[in-house]
Amino acid sequence: MNEYIVTINGRKHKVGITDSAKVNIDGELIDTTISKISKNSFLLRYGKKVYEIVARRENADQFEFLIEGIYIDVLIKTSVQEVAGEMLLERNRSGRNSSIKAPMPGLLIKINKKVGDKVQAGEAVLLLEAMKMENEIRSPSNGIVKEIFFKEGDSIEKDAIILSIE
Amino acid sequence: MFKKILVVNRGEIAHRIIKACRELDIVSAAVYSEADHQALHVRRADESYLIGPSPAKESYLNKEKILELAKEIGADAIHPGYGFLSENADFIHMVEKSGITFIGPSSDSVRVMGEKLSARRLMKMNNVPIVPGTLEPIRNVEEGRKFALEIGYPVMLKAAGGGGGKGMRKILSPELFDISFERAGSESRKAFGSDELYLEKLIQKPKHIEVQILADKYGNYIHLFERECSVQRRHQKVVEEAPSVAVDEQTRQRLTETAILAARACGYYNAGTIEFLMDHEKNFYFLEMNTRLQVEHPVTEMICGVDIVKEQIKIAAGRKLEIRQDQLSIKGHAVECRIYAEDIDNNFAPSIGKITHHRLTSGPGIRIDRGIDLMSEVPVYYDPILAKVIAWGMDREEAIARMKRALTEYQISGVITNIPLFSWVFKQKKFLDGTFDIEFLDTEFLPLVPGKWKGTPSEEFETAAIIAAALIKSAEQETKAGGNRIGNTNQWRNLNYE
Repeated sequence: MNEYIVTINGRKHKVGITDSAKVNIDGELIDTTISKISKNSFLLRYGKKVYEIVARRENADQFEFLIEGIYIDVLIKTSVQEVAGEMLLERNRSGRNSSIKAPMPGLLIKINKKVGDKVQAGEAVLLLEAMKMENEIRSPSNGIVKEIFFKEGDSIEKDAIILSIE
Repeated sequence: MFKKILVVNRGEIAHRIIKACRELDIVSAAVYSEADHQALHVRRADESYLIGPSPAKESYLNKEKILELAKEIGADAIHPGYGFLSENADFIHMVEKSGITFIGPSSDSVRVMGEKLSARRLMKMNNVPIVPGTLEPIRNVEEGRKFALEIGYPVMLKAAGGGGGKGMRKILSPELFDISFERAGSESRKAFGSDELYLEKLIQKPKHIEVQILADKYGNYIHLFERECSVQRRHQKVVEEAPSVAVDEQTRQRLTETAILAARACGYYNAGTIEFLMDHEKNFYFLEMNTRLQVEHPVTEMICGVDIVKEQIKIAAGRKLEIRQDQLSIKGHAVECRIYAEDIDNNFAPSIGKITHHRLTSGPGIRIDRGIDLMSEVPVYYDPILAKVIAWGMDREEAIARMKRALTEYQISGVITNIPLFSWVFKQKKFLDGTFDIEFLDTEFLPLVPGKWKGTPSEEFETAAIIAAALIKSAEQETKAGGNRIGNTNQWRNLNYE
């Protein structure tokens, strides 16, 4: 049996998949059938209804599902990952290393800091332009700029690490 | 009639114009930037030409190159769509001189209406009510302070050169005047190259009402009734409808007569829109004239049965208006939702990427004007509008019900859209009873961002999502393990997300 921890709207659910057409959610066995109808859409039947679900993969552990006009974000981890993740989180709380990632793709207009500069949490560090809008990107933590991976005028992919803080 | 039209735009509006060309049996030629080489308007056009690199300045705004291309390919007319060069009087003048027909008004009409103060003076001279305020640029801060007191607070400071909310400041009391004057001036200088400002009395909680007009080159004018566009976020329209629930028959009479007066005043021909602010007593004031096709034109098309883009082309070709005012009437009600690629909860940041899944909705009363299709790129360089969903019904209630139904069926994946916003709007009493005004979204919706505006999905939807996630993930693990621990008859094989 594969076991997962699924987080949805801030609530965690324990999900088990057994070798029959049943899924165990928080101890309740649910009958279900699913089929794939295109590269990223699925038909899922449970209860009285068939749900047409469009899936978008955000990363290995995250999906965004679109069901009848409603977008639902889902985080899924195997029970092993969940335990490991909690340990890692604990370790990060004591450390100080962090970085600034691009929250959206865009053009890097301005970098207010250079390597070795002090930064405060919440301080505007970068200016990123996307679709004619300028967006200030702020530092997540206090520290010193360790490395800058791009220069002004560069075009940046979503989630690329722009700058690291020590 | 024209043989070939060069469509100087992109996205949904270029697609819309290409459809009109095809129906009129005119060859459509599209232009595209590097980022748009596979865009839908390029896929649909009869011919398409690379116009330059992705930034709009170097492609869709490159006047010389566009005009040169038009001559080279033997286009006899240019349709500008909206935005980009559509209201650029210099470009229109260049086209006029070249012997190619511009599908729109004359450069003179565009120039006089584009300069806010000359438009205000012209309207006043022609008995079109304008918002009380100044008619000349304010010379200095002292003069401004004096005028503001005369007009009476609260006042609006506006850029003479501009629009779109830039160089605009609401001033509630005298002590805020100086700082607002300075900021609006500097913003205006940056955006429009001029720091000329003027003052208007602030109309409290108005509605945005606009009238669509059509005029031929022989002095015949008709109107296609009003639209209401009060659902806006920082001056950007989000939901539009026709007719307006707030406009009664008597007000409609006055509004439409005034709109035609305004259009005549600048010797207007082709399609245009006169925008008004309307207060609670149904007094209305001229705001500005949009001397081009508008984003929200489909709601008018739906209630009148007139194809505005085809009318534009026929008027430009020198035809007389065939539609008489007495043939027109309002049939039913239409609502439009603008689908933007934006992440509301991430400060409305534009969402960029590839459309990985796209399934249209259809059915009774539904129309979609779109610039996207499967595998379209949504580039960083342009306006984030993806599509417009338009719903028609016998009455407003039916139009809204159809819209809500259609939005549950329309599937877009790959970028984040503002579709969930509309289910919030359609639940609000103020929207449903028609008492909303232009501050509706800014005062009622924005305080709920991020997150608090979203209803939680039903428990059934959540459960479906949980099951889907677990099954997809499990199928992946099985494939990776190479085995089939769950058994050969496993219905969950082949679920792997690609």
